[in-house]
Amino acid sequence: MGTMAGVVGSRARPLRTRAESLRDAWRSFGTAAKIGWQTESNWTDPLLFFIYSVAKPLAAVAILLVMLAVVSGGNPDPGFRAFVVVGSAMWGLVLGGMAGLAWSLLDDRERYRMLKYLYLSPNALLVLLLGRGAARLAIAVMGALITLGVGVAFLGVGFDLGRVDWLLLVPSLALGFVSIVALGIVLAAICMQTRQESWSYPDAVAGAMFLVVGAVFPLAVLPQAVQVAGLMVPLTWWLEGVRQALVPGSLSSIGGTGSVWAQLTGTIVPGSGAILLGLLVTTVVTTLGALAAYRWSEHRAKERGLLDQTTGS
Amino acid sequence: MKEATPSAARTPSRAAGRYVYRQTASPQEAAQWSRRRIIVTNLRTMIGRAYPRVIGLKREPSWMFFEILLPFLTTSAFVFVYRALQAPQEFIGFVVLGGAMTAFWGNVIWTMGVQLYWEKDQGNLDLYFTTPISMMSVLFGMASGSLVSSCLRAAIVLLVGALVYGVSFAINDWLLLGGVFALTLTALYGFGMILASLFVLWGREAYHLTQALQEPAYFVSGLNFPVAKLGALGAVAISVIPLAVGLDAMRQLAFTGSAATAGVLSPGAEALVLVAMTVIFIGVARVALRKMEWLARHEGRLTLRGG
Repeated sequence: MGTMAGVVGSRARPLRTRAESLRDAWRSFGTAAKIGWQTESNWTDPLLFFIYSVAKPLAAVAILLVMLAVVSGGNPDPGFRAFVVVGSAMWGLVLGGMAGLAWSLLDDRERYRMLKYLYLSPNALLVLLLGRGAARLAIAVMGALITLGVGVAFLGVGFDLGRVDWLLLVPSLALGFVSIVALGIVLAAICMQTRQESWSYPDAVAGAMFLVVGAVFPLAVLPQAVQVAGLMVPLTWWLEGVRQALVPGSLSSIGGTGSVWAQLTGTIVPGSGAILLGLLVTTVVTTLGALAAYRWSEHRAKERGLLDQTTGS
Repeated sequence: MKEATPSAARTPSRAAGRYVYRQTASPQEAAQWSRRRIIVTNLRTMIGRAYPRVIGLKREPSWMFFEILLPFLTTSAFVFVYRALQAPQEFIGFVVLGGAMTAFWGNVIWTMGVQLYWEKDQGNLDLYFTTPISMMSVLFGMASGSLVSSCLRAAIVLLVGALVYGVSFAINDWLLLGGVFALTLTALYGFGMILASLFVLWGREAYHLTQALQEPAYFVSGLNFPVAKLGALGAVAISVIPLAVGLDAMRQLAFTGSAATAGVLSPGAEALVLVAMTVIFIGVARVALRKMEWLARHEGRLTLRGG
């Protein structure tokens, strides 16, 4: 009887208030983030972990900078070099954010075989995945900051703290993070339906988006239909916002002579208001779509027994 | 009373036909396999390990979209970087060629190098080691099974890239180009086997380091530009990474006469480097796999999961 009373009187009672639910979700998120961070970081000593965190983004920038140097005969345009460094550094966040959720799901289903137990726990699976993904996003933030630092210190990126447009930067970063996480949710929804080899899917999707978002070259060089597709992706507006906020007046990835933007609006480059509006609208649409896709995927996975299906080949 | 005969005894299966009972005087004698039997068993191992990879492609068709179409778009992004810079047309050819070769690099690294670590995590590695087969057969079977999708991806990147972006190859020596390509693959497989042997001992380090070193490997291999432009770093890469030397030679052979394709060495010399790499890597891999297996057994790491 004492045990029964303990259960009935415990915090585990099924009927919780909204505040209690939120508190529990936050606690679950925190625990998942802590596990995610330990999984990502405690396999080695801090020095090797630091190298691991920055090697990938720095090498990605190096590839592009050598391409620039080779074509320009060793004298690349400083404006274009800054464009590439900022875009490439920020792109690390996209890779980390998009892959985090999908890989957490695949890790828990295929390797640790814990997904079904997580699903059965009282917390929403999505909250746990978001927590696990947050750790990878945090590592990506570190890589992006160091890449930007290297760009400013050694690669001639004209960064002046006094000129930073904070009113553009802060909302751009906030909305950008939301859109990256939303895209990560879409990838998690896809990987819930597919096999173990879908480890490469987040990188593949991010790589394809790399083409249309103006990360390392202006959209104006793309065919018009592809430019229109790019304008529908929140990452395009996010990159433009961050770039124009950090280095005001720098080369625009959206506008420019011959761009779809210039043809549609009659202006050469979008202003801060247009960038934020574009980012807000595309982020809202992407986030709502992502949540709907995830809900459908989770339901289908449960119906078809995919949550504990391991598919190693 | 008539004794019932088991159905298996009446109609022997194919497996029963292969493994005929043979009475021997001792376990040592039973372990004395003929050379033919060893070769046939290892060939069966390769086919058996390649089979799930090939059949998996048929069962999960989403890979066509995610592993062929999307990587082509990634390659296209680098094409447009060169277009934005108004680079000569052969640079776009470099990107297309590099994009095709990444399929093989990914195959070797992810489906061979890291695979023994995955198998350990899934509880299969100890089973492999207790069977009378060579680990090299298992690894080669895995990689050759994945080669189907890699070849398809590389071919599509090359063909579609050439058509869409107007890349025109200028090839004078098809034989040497084919030989360099084949040697690059064999050297890459040897390299992958060495990594696999290292990763038997490692835990999560293997996975994380492989992931972190992908872009640096692409950078020093000169994936999108002639590796000679990296100077001393490129020369070091040529002597260590099969992708670097293979790409440098193939670039020279596929775009003959272009001033931009100047390599670190001549294609013939680079083919010899690849021969040396193949011999050394496969030899080292053979020794390393045995040594690492012994160490892993000695230190009890064969069945250690999640380490």
